[in-house]
Parts: sequence; structure tokens; C-alpha cells
Amino acid sequence: MYRRSFKDTKSSLGSPNPNFSKPMVALRFLRALSLVRCSGPGARSPSYRARGIRRAAYACMAASAGPRRAWSRALLRKIRRRPGRGLRRPRAVIRRRRPVGGGDPLEVALRRLVPGGGCMEYCRLLEEAADYVKCLAMQVRLMQTIVDSASHVNSID
Amino acid sequence: MKENKFVLNSHGNGCEWQFNTAAMSQMSQSPYLSASIGEGFSPGHWNHSTTTSTLNLGLGESSATVNSIPVGKPVAVSPREMLLSTAPKLPHFPVDSTFIERAARFSCFGTGNFTGINFFGSSPAMASSNNEGFGAQIQKDDLSENKAVLLPVDHESFNGSSMKKQGDGNSQISVSNGESHVNFPEDGPEGNTGSTDVALDSSSSDLGENKRRKTALDIDKDQVQGSLQFLSQTTTENIQNEQKVEISSKQSGKNGKDNSEVAKEDYVHIRARRGQATNSHSLAERVRREKISERMKCLQELVPGCNKVTGKAVMLDEIINYVQSLQRQVEFLSMKLAAVNPQLDFGGEGLLAKNLLHSHGGSSSATRFSPELMYLQAYPSQHTLVHTGISAMASQSDTFRRTITTQSTSGYKESSMQVQQMHIPWNEELIMQMVYSANPSNPHMDSKADGFAI
Repeated sequence: MYRRSFKDTKSSLGSPNPNFSKPMVALRFLRALSLVRCSGPGARSPSYRARGIRRAAYACMAASAGPRRAWSRALLRKIRRRPGRGLRRPRAVIRRRRPVGGGDPLEVALRRLVPGGGCMEYCRLLEEAADYVKCLAMQVRLMQTIVDSASHVNSID
Repeated sequence: MKENKFVLNSHGNGCEWQFNTAAMSQMSQSPYLSASIGEGFSPGHWNHSTTTSTLNLGLGESSATVNSIPVGKPVAVSPREMLLSTAPKLPHFPVDSTFIERAARFSCFGTGNFTGINFFGSSPAMASSNNEGFGAQIQKDDLSENKAVLLPVDHESFNGSSMKKQGDGNSQISVSNGESHVNFPEDGPEGNTGSTDVALDSSSSDLGENKRRKTALDIDKDQVQGSLQFLSQTTTENIQNEQKVEISSKQSGKNGKDNSEVAKEDYVHIRARRGQATNSHSLAERVRREKISERMKCLQELVPGCNKVTGKAVMLDEIINYVQSLQRQVEFLSMKLAAVNPQLDFGGEGLLAKNLLHSHGGSSSATRFSPELMYLQAYPSQHTLVHTGISAMASQSDTFRRTITTQSTSGYKESSMQVQQMHIPWNEELIMQMVYSANPSNPHMDSKADGFAI
């Protein structure tokens, strides 16, 4: 269910315009949300749904950021990779070019925070972190809007 | 007026130029002279200019006059004299930014036989007597347009480098000054002062020139090689103190330094600053460090409340905290959405989408609660108390009824000073006033307080 939602949001709304197009992110997210809901509102516990919503949020954020960004690729990869997916195709993925310098705890922490941050150089890491922060902030704003409007809709009933 | 011209032309050799213009006024040189010097030399004019002998004479004169100049200024002045002496015959050259561009270009892509150029027509005898010599010397008769275009470049370098030679007939061409056109915005005054100091030492060695040439050759690519040879005559002190080496690093946009460069420049020419090693490794490191600081500045703008913070460690800490808080917010909001969702009929999704799009309207969308607020709330500082209060208000859904319906956007005034990214639309100033009049330090995020109902 979730997989389908992510794929749909990613493929259908191919955004050339990265995260500055907030409506795009909003649309994606809403579609994902509706798909999440379609799974059966009463069937799952709220925490399960919460996790699904969180994944949807990250997925649409990464999808709207575009494939140009290292963090968005890494994030999508992390989301799409379901544990126990079965037979994993051995891919010749050369990703792990780990940069030296685990000395600075701040840098290490930042690498852990930013998706895909383990393989980048420091410069790249800072760049990606900036973009990630921007996207995250926008996503949070979006979600807050949705929550507010949703609760508003609820409250007027 | 002279000074203005000089400043205009030197692109950052301003201090030195002004320095020299004062000196020149003392010299009572012809304004024509100074103007022409300031503006550079066009190729064709060299042919009209003094011959070698006259140049030497002029230089001799200038050297004589050098002594009369106060100590404070001699280094800067002495090269001027030489130039000035040569200048009288030069016709007036138009101040030409394009000319300087050309000069820059030529110096960078050193085509032509620079080696054969005798700069300022210094005779070989004089060159040898200097112990410095000239890597490339301009020969007047050989002056073609290409070579001559270098002159303004060299001229600037000449100003810097020749300061080292006091009372010396020959003019020095330092790589640093020679390429000062490359680096005007940053290193012009720097380089000039540096060369000034070096000039005071005024020690010259043959090694200097050779070393400079070697370094130049090592570092430059073939295109630049010619120009560097042409420019390479500095002493060892010059090398050490005023390291202006042009390296063509990878085409990573190091545009900060090269904004004076011609647009055609496809190499990134880095100039080592004074007192730094010219080692290509350290230069590359410097580039990298500056890239990092550039990125840190971007991050600083993104993260709220980081303007006051200086220092990489604290900044990084702030950034990490901010990212963590954002991620926590996402979690929290997703939980909230999950709670809200079952009650929500997502046939209203279209309505929501419409609202969002409507409110977006080309500007930032309607949000009452920015992540920055939450962040600042979690990490309260002096100026965030207000934000705390606002965030408390912001979470009240009844207060936002109108914001939702009206969907108008207005600036978020007070708090946006500290929080950059807050484009929170407040359609009513009333809410703001209410918010501020209420107790600001009462963060009830999830509670619905009736007291705040409008």
C-alpha cells in the first residue's frame, strides 16, 4: 500500500522544479495521504498510520526535491527499501566512498542526520544539508498547514 | 582628479594608486603622465613612447627624485617615478575597462612571445645589474598588440613589484602585481602593501627570478606560462611575502576571487595571499576552506537565530539541533495527522489542495506555525520569548479559523526579524496584538485556550 503510494506520487508528478514549488509537494503529500487512508482507516493503529504518514512525508519531500540531490536519492532509496523484500538484485552500486575525518563529532552527527551523508565530502555535506534543511522546513510547514486545516474542518463540525 | 583616475583604473590597487598619485603630485609630473600611467598603455603607443635610452634616462631621473620623497612613501613612489618618466611621451590613453579586460585576458592566456618583451625597455645591462633581471622583457620594437596589451597588466604589477627597486633603473615585474588585475577586488591593496614592504627590503637575488619562474611554470598550465614568464621577476622575498601564483585548479566555480576576470576565464585562478605558501596543496586547501565557509554562510541564513553565532563549531551545533528539531516535528505532525485522519474525509482532500494552492498564490503558503517557531521555542533565547508566545497562540485552531478561510497572507513583522524564513501570513493584526498582549511565555502547544478566542 505504501509502496504504491510512493511510486504513484513520484512517477506521476515528475517535478522539474525542486523544492521551491510548494504546491507540488502539497499535492504529492495529499495524494500519498489519501492513499494511506485508503488502506482502511480502522484497520490500522494510529501509530502504524503515523509511520506511514511519516514515510509519505519524506517520500514526497524527496520526490519533489528532485533526483539531482544526493539526499533525496538516498532518502528515497532508504524508504523504498523494504526489509524482507525478498530477492535483492545484486547491483553494482559503488556508493561507499567514505570520506576520512570521523574526528569531528559535529560532522559525524551531521552526516547521520542528513540522508546519504555518509559518503559525501564535507563541502558536499554542507551543501546537501542546506538543501535538506530547506526542504524539511517546507515540509513541516506544509504538514502543519494540513493539520491545522484538518483540525479546523473538524472543529467547525 | 588624478587620483580618481588612478583609483578607477587600478581596480583595487586603490591605496597604492592614491599613494602614488600623491607622490606624483609631489614630483610635479605632468598630469598627462599620470593619467596615462593610470590608464595603462595601449599597444600602439609604445611605439611612440620613449626608446630604451630615454627610458633609462627617465629612470635615472626618477631614481634621483626618489630620494626626495619622504620615507613613508618611497616604495610606492619609486616605481611610479620610473613610469612617470616614461610617460611624458605617451599620448593620452582612454580609460578603458575593456582594455583592462583585454589585458587581463592576455595575461591569463599568455599568447605571443612574451619572453621577447622588454619591459619598459630596460637594457640587458641594467637588467643584469639589478640582480633580478626580467624574465621577459618588452622590446619596444617588437611590440605587437598582443604584447602591448600585457603592458597595463604588467604596469600594475610593475607598480607593485618595482617598489622593491628603489633607485633602480629596471622595473620589477612581480607575478603578484602582474596578475593584480585578476585579483583586484581582494588582493590588490593587499598585494600592493605587501610589495611595498618587500620593496623596502630591496634585496634581489637571481634565485628569485628563477624560482619564481619555476614556480610559475610548475603551477601554471601552458596557456598561462607565457604570461608568467613575462611577469616573473621577483625576489625571494617577493615569493614568500607576496605569493601570487596563478593556479588553474579544477573548474570548481571559485568565482568570488575572479569577479574582475574576463568572462572567458574557464580556469579558476587562485591567488595565494600574502604570507601564505604557494604550495599548490595549500592553495587547494584554501579554496576548499573558502568553499566550506561559503556553504556555512548559506546554512547560516537558513537556520534561524544563527546570525549572531560565529564560529564553525557553534554553527554546526545549531544546524544539527535545527535538523533534529525539524525531524522531530515531522514525526509529531505525522502522528497528529494520523490521529486526525480517520475523522477527516479525504474527499475534502481536493478542498484542502485547493486551499493550499489558493493560499500559495505565488507567495509562501499560509502557515500559522513555522518550524522556526518551534525550534526557537525548544531552544529559547532572549529574543525568542515572543516567538514562544506566538507559537502558543499559533497552535490554537480557533484563532486560525479566519486565517484558514481568508487565506490571505501578510508579513510577519516582529519575529521575522530574527527568524528569516518566516513568511507566515497573518491576515489580522488583531491576532498579533492579542498575541503580544497575552502572556508570551506560556507555551501551551496543544491546548485550546478559550481566553484567546477573538
